Amino acid sequence: MTTGTTGTADATPLFGPESQFRAFFDDPRWALAMIRATVLEAAHPQIGAALADNSTFVTHPWRRLRNTFLSMRRMFDADPAVREREAGRLNRLHARMSGSDTRGRAYDAMDRAARAWVVATLFESAVTMCRLSGQPLGQDTMERMYAEYRAFLAALEGDAGALPEDINDFWRYFDRVVGDELENTEAARVILYRLFDHLPAPALLDGMPTLWAAGRALIGPLLGAITVASLPEPYRRKAGLPEMPGAATLMQGAYLTAGFTRFLPEGWINAETIIETLSLSPDSDDPRARTMTALRARMKRGAALIRLLTPLSGDSDPDSVPATPPSTGEGRRSAEEFFRQVLDQTGDGHLDWPDLAAMARELATRLDLDEPEETRLYDAFAAWWRELQAALDTDGDGRVSADEYATAVPSLAGPALIRVAEVLFDATDKDGSGTIDADEYRTLFRTAFHRDLATTNDTFGRSAFVGDFLSFMSGRRTNTPYDPLLADA
Amino acid sequence: MPRHVACVMDGNGRWAQIRSLPRTAGHRAAEATVIDVIEAARASGVEWLSLYAFSTENWNRPGSEVAYLMRLVRRVVRKHAPLLLARGIRCRFLGVADPRIPRELAQDFDDLATLTADNRGMTLTLAFDHGGRRDIVEAARSLIRSKTPADEVTERLFADHLPFPDTPDVDLVIRTSGEQRISNFMLWQVAYAEWVFPEALWPDFRAPDFLACLHTYRRRDRRFGGVPPQTNGALS
Repeated sequence: MTTGTTGTADATPLFGPESQFRAFFDDPRWALAMIRATVLEAAHPQIGAALADNSTFVTHPWRRLRNTFLSMRRMFDADPAVREREAGRLNRLHARMSGSDTRGRAYDAMDRAARAWVVATLFESAVTMCRLSGQPLGQDTMERMYAEYRAFLAALEGDAGALPEDINDFWRYFDRVVGDELENTEAARVILYRLFDHLPAPALLDGMPTLWAAGRALIGPLLGAITVASLPEPYRRKAGLPEMPGAATLMQGAYLTAGFTRFLPEGWINAETIIETLSLSPDSDDPRARTMTALRARMKRGAALIRLLTPLSGDSDPDSVPATPPSTGEGRRSAEEFFRQVLDQTGDGHLDWPDLAAMARELATRLDLDEPEETRLYDAFAAWWRELQAALDTDGDGRVSADEYATAVPSLAGPALIRVAEVLFDATDKDGSGTIDADEYRTLFRTAFHRDLATTNDTFGRSAFVGDFLSFMSGRRTNTPYDPLLADA
Repeated sequence: MPRHVACVMDGNGRWAQIRSLPRTAGHRAAEATVIDVIEAARASGVEWLSLYAFSTENWNRPGSEVAYLMRLVRRVVRKHAPLLLARGIRCRFLGVADPRIPRELAQDFDDLATLTADNRGMTLTLAFDHGGRRDIVEAARSLIRSKTPADEVTERLFADHLPFPDTPDVDLVIRTSGEQRISNFMLWQVAYAEWVFPEALWPDFRAPDFLACLHTYRRRDRRFGGVPPQTNGALS
């Protein structure tokens, strides 16, 4: 990729803060458009299969949202070096994803046509979002925006040949793919029907499961209906999606309302702040975290007071002794909990290579790893996976079920896992000093040292780091800095 | 004025026996004393108050009495939560580790502690399912886990590994009903405590009795193991 193809040499730069793309970042309609684009992506058989196998969006949607957002922002950064680096990272990430779907058809996340489709859905959803909210884009703006998205694809692929050069040809291309190639894939169904009904609470609202569940019960079906109604008609017909009376009006109303926020003073809605706030973990020492922690604490106290004031059902009768389920000791979690929250990253109920790959991916993203460290980390995880498979997969189906895991927990901390910890330590220790200092620690955990960590002089030695990692991975200790890293939604 | 006062609430069962009532009635009557003592302690400027509500050994009592106690404590906690919050009392629960504690009760404990965590008035520590030796064992485990070299372990460092390390040493322990035993209560913290043993049973114990105990404490001559300056005889 050269700077010429990315358009920075042009009179009006296609990237950077002036781009059309950036203009939508803080637009609430963008959230609806992104959901719609994701459904259209997932409906593509190749992408759908890759998503179903590898993606963590069902179990960790908020983390995934944050990563996607940051990645897109980097892809449209004004600095070509940042864009190039991010494109390289995405390419490496996609190169690790290939396999075959349930019907045995091969998929490959590096497939040119599939990647062009992802960019196409993003562009088309942005156009549609403006159309639906009664603020259609002019021909000039649309053409300019199309050029931006093609440049985005070119930054990834090296050239944008997979998308038609002319915007008029694009609409023909889009209709053809919707009509001929899209399918009612499992991934699309999961997004439409399962994701919103089971959306886990973001870190901010983690302490209030009841409140979250109540809000979700109301908003979830609504979001689903809005998204379905905004999909292209040929696809709705093909996938057998319901036509609900009033859904179209609801959808247009939602887009229109969200569009009104453009009259708010500039800076009132900032997508980055919102996303960061939602995914901020409570004990992070980000300056904003203090306010958020205070807010969370107040909400937690409110919830505690409500619980305490709720009248007890039935008065105490000394003779009827209800069976008391044993409460789990603090600081430890059950094997199932650990399996669900940490190990099973893709949420399919089984531990498989994509789960461990997702962990490696998350760690590599956090640490912003380059080659060859990234490959080294993946290799360590792959070795751990072979070790796990050999030790835990008793029925020989190639993956580890929650039961198989629960019966063999002690054998989890084998030499390969120790190797993972060591590679992670080396990757975190950027300056190779043999210890992790405050900055390096912060890059990994986005939080500062805590008193209870076995630290000396504000650095973290190799053995302490490895010990900590192992106790999280096998001792199943909660409340470690690894929790926000791997367990948070 | 003692900074940290602890009460061993003894005599509920005997109080009920004298009145030919079931033992559980004694526990029920204890509630009024608890509230009275909390008020009296707060009013007289005690900063830390600890109450021994349930020991690790109390699990050996008849199952029905234990179950009754669990429900009673739950009701009391919920009933007085708003009052404790309004009075600026910070509540915490020492112990509460046994899986036999009903989940709802543990949740209420957590809620009350969360609710009052920011209060800066008196700190009320309720020892529930507490054992002094267990705390010390836990601290030792925590020390070993943190890989502290043996030579570096000092009394102060050890105390940092006890539950609620910010708790100051107990200055005065009041054990009602005339019993004179420690019964495994906050063993580390009572090292230099003065003890008083009023004859009143806990349900009969009231604010004036509490103030009398404070008065007794003030007349005591606390030496912390040293030699009083005015004596010249042999002290063993």
